[in-house]
Amino acid sequence: MLRRDLMRAGAAAALLPGLRHLAFAAEPGGAGDTLVVIFQRGGCDGLSLVAPTDDPNYVADRAPDLRVRADGPRPGRPLRQSFAPAVDFRLHPEAAPLADLYESGQLAFVHAAGLENGTRSHFVAQDLMERGLAGAGGGKAVTDGWLTRLLAGRPSVLPAVATTPAIPQSLAFHADSLAIPNLRGGLGLPGGPQARDVLTALYAAGGDPFSRAARHTLRDLAAIDARLPRGPDGKVLPYVPERNAAYETTETGRALQTVAELLKMDIGLSVACVDIGGWDHHEQMGGRFATLAGQFARGLAAFWNDTARYHDRLTVVVMTEFGRRLRTNKSNGTDHGHGGVMMALGGKVNGGGIYGRWPGLASGRLDNGVDLAVTTDYRAVLAEILAARLNAAALLPRIFPGYVPGRPLGLVRA
Amino acid sequence: MIPPVDKLVLGRLAFGASAEDSAFIQAKGLNHWVEEQLRAPAGDEPAMLARLAAIRLRIRYGAGEGWPAVDELRPLTTLDKDVAQLWPLTDRKAPLAGPERQLPRREVAAAAIQRAIHSPWQLREVLVDFWHNHFNVSAVGDHAVAAALPDYDRTIRAHALGNFREFLEAVAGSPAMLVYLSNRSSRAGSANENYGRELFELHTLGRAAYLNDLYNRWREVPGALKGRPEGYIDEDVYEAARAFTGWTIEDGAGLGGGQTLPVTGRFTYVEIWHDNYQKRVLATDFDPFQPPLADGRKVLDLVAAHPATAHFLCVKLCRRLVSDTPPPALVAEAAQVWAENRRKPDQIRRVVAFIAKSPAMRDGFGGKVKRPLELLAGYARGAGAEVTVTSGLLGALDASGQRLFGWAPPTGHPDDQAYWLSSHVLRHRWALALGLSDNWWGTGPFDIAARLPDALDATEAVGRVHAMLTGLPPAGGTLAAILAGMRLAPDAPVSRRGDYVRLAGRMAAYCAMSPAFNLR
Repeated sequence: MLRRDLMRAGAAAALLPGLRHLAFAAEPGGAGDTLVVIFQRGGCDGLSLVAPTDDPNYVADRAPDLRVRADGPRPGRPLRQSFAPAVDFRLHPEAAPLADLYESGQLAFVHAAGLENGTRSHFVAQDLMERGLAGAGGGKAVTDGWLTRLLAGRPSVLPAVATTPAIPQSLAFHADSLAIPNLRGGLGLPGGPQARDVLTALYAAGGDPFSRAARHTLRDLAAIDARLPRGPDGKVLPYVPERNAAYETTETGRALQTVAELLKMDIGLSVACVDIGGWDHHEQMGGRFATLAGQFARGLAAFWNDTARYHDRLTVVVMTEFGRRLRTNKSNGTDHGHGGVMMALGGKVNGGGIYGRWPGLASGRLDNGVDLAVTTDYRAVLAEILAARLNAAALLPRIFPGYVPGRPLGLVRA
Repeated sequence: MIPPVDKLVLGRLAFGASAEDSAFIQAKGLNHWVEEQLRAPAGDEPAMLARLAAIRLRIRYGAGEGWPAVDELRPLTTLDKDVAQLWPLTDRKAPLAGPERQLPRREVAAAAIQRAIHSPWQLREVLVDFWHNHFNVSAVGDHAVAAALPDYDRTIRAHALGNFREFLEAVAGSPAMLVYLSNRSSRAGSANENYGRELFELHTLGRAAYLNDLYNRWREVPGALKGRPEGYIDEDVYEAARAFTGWTIEDGAGLGGGQTLPVTGRFTYVEIWHDNYQKRVLATDFDPFQPPLADGRKVLDLVAAHPATAHFLCVKLCRRLVSDTPPPALVAEAAQVWAENRRKPDQIRRVVAFIAKSPAMRDGFGGKVKRPLELLAGYARGAGAEVTVTSGLLGALDASGQRLFGWAPPTGHPDDQAYWLSSHVLRHRWALALGLSDNWWGTGPFDIAARLPDALDATEAVGRVHAMLTGLPPAGGTLAAILAGMRLAPDAPVSRRGDYVRLAGRMAAYCAMSPAFNLR
């Protein structure tokens, strides 16, 4: 353990007397990296994000303005890869900031990844993934989330934060998760000291779920609020990112800025869950995908730039409930599909490559004849990251019940 | 401790107990109250119309291309308007600031809050809220849904206690849903599956009946070969999507040959966009070349009649009206009532009456956390406060995790407690009671002290206020927490203090934060 880490832990403990035991990044056998899990809600079209631009089926099934092209005024960024060398895979032109991270060896893609279950329902697919399952069979008893099981028995100062109004299913029944959409204006209580005193006493003893949740909220929000820098007037100062990183006022920008702020409090954030919505492009996909992909890519790049000091103990994984249909519909959109694209970003990610196995887009290779097949179980990606970066190899049977690991992807190093 | 029956059931079948509703139930019994409530007339009574007319929402934006800066208070103007009258708000070329285009969303939401607090037809309002979540649309950021929202609210209100099959068709043809689930742009050739999928999964059969991970062909689904499949798979979704091609709105879309649809936002059916060929949905064959709208209507007939729909809708109704984990026997019996009455014009009214009069309605306590709207409306109702909705109150509710007509996914707000107990939601819900007590948002003076007897000490005052809200004496910890936090001696003669109104308001707000008032 490094001395500065000891000091950091000591300082955090002193500042957060209400919080529990400590575990932090550099401790051998400890909690490992901070893991940021970004969920693209709605089904992100992997075939637009990392596009097989010269695949004849891709060209045939998608109108020219609904696919990424190698030519024309807005060509996609070519990606050097040995994943399917015969195919010209390109990143969506609006996602160009991701290409820089890819080329610098920090960002990797996993293509044709997802849930091997045949569902095309957003809510079934999200639910299964967040519970860490492959199918409903045998999974009915599993009600908590894969991150809940990761964190169980791993005490840390600030186990998990979601930048959504409520915690996602992946953290279900994890009692110490906090929902913090943003830190602008702080996390103070309405009603001043009197309300704080009343509420603290009001929920001090109750065993009902409301009292328990309220108690934990009061304690942990106050601890974080106390760490926010304030001006002489007591108002929370605006966050100043490092290295001139610029967050936009989009869902991605706001959420990732919040994660960066919490990370830099150095209080041992273990997991951050970020939702980016709006990927359900049934209609007018061309413009809508471009806008969202641009916001996403710029936001992720800003976050990565801002958090450079933490890169050796920070891993980001990006997932979505499914990819989208190969063939476009008459609304200039795509309907729910199957295989999608996952991403891993981190100082210890073997970036600059596309992982998995490309199944191709010929009719006979498509899932149910219509969608990109899933050749990499989403759990293979998560399990590899948990094992290599969060010291959780021994916990994997508990975190992903019924999952049998296959050949490692080699996505990330210990 | 379990609250008295009037408080208990009015926390479930109403947005909280008012003194009037409690007195009615105490005098005449719950069943009588339910019968009375289920005879709710259409529309708003004069007192509610006056309250709605008193609302002023602040609208504020900076100058832009073609418009000056605006900062003013406005009465509600869009509630009675037809979609065609509001459709100009969707015109991208018109010089209109975003807040003007979003105005109908804020106005319908303000009216919903006003009715939740003060409508005498509480059970109707609870069901309108239920159906808005069941048939969720989000108008936030979507100006077309916003323009169609007053119309959609009237559709929901017209059918909330009616027949489910008729309700489904009204929703399927509503401009708000046609925009929100993008069926308006669905065309023969490659239909848009968005509405078709959510029709099965969220509006009718439910996700438990989605068997796609088990079966790839329609004939493999158990019961299919007898014409009674147990559930649905993607083939049903594809075929249903084809059946609804051509169901659209007059949004100016091109028809070919230089012709375009009118620009009114109203429902229309475009035969040349419809996929006329034969289909098969839920193991039922559709002949090719049916008359206009017949394919879609046949799909609605099939899904409305399916046993999974009866079960799914009754699970949801019982979960809303009773608890997060309703007794399975109650759900099964309600589903039977649902199925038996499926051709009756008042099918939903009969099912709701059955659930409302069931023993489970008077049983148990604490199986559900009140949503923020239930909390704030129930607080105002219990305290007997006259509240006029303002922009500030609407903003506080929007921030609380319950943004009316602004929940982005088509599921509607979650109906289990995990969502409503997050740190973010809790922090904002605490503001709701305090804000009403202290009149932060200009919603009106809050004078619960006027409803208390004279000459009370601090202990008696907290006790009275707590009982007014919950029907129960405060738990020992609650009383002690409030007295200590407010620095009041237990026997302090508070009712003689100059700041008694404010003090009593704070006592009430803190009682409203107790677990006893937040559970139901």
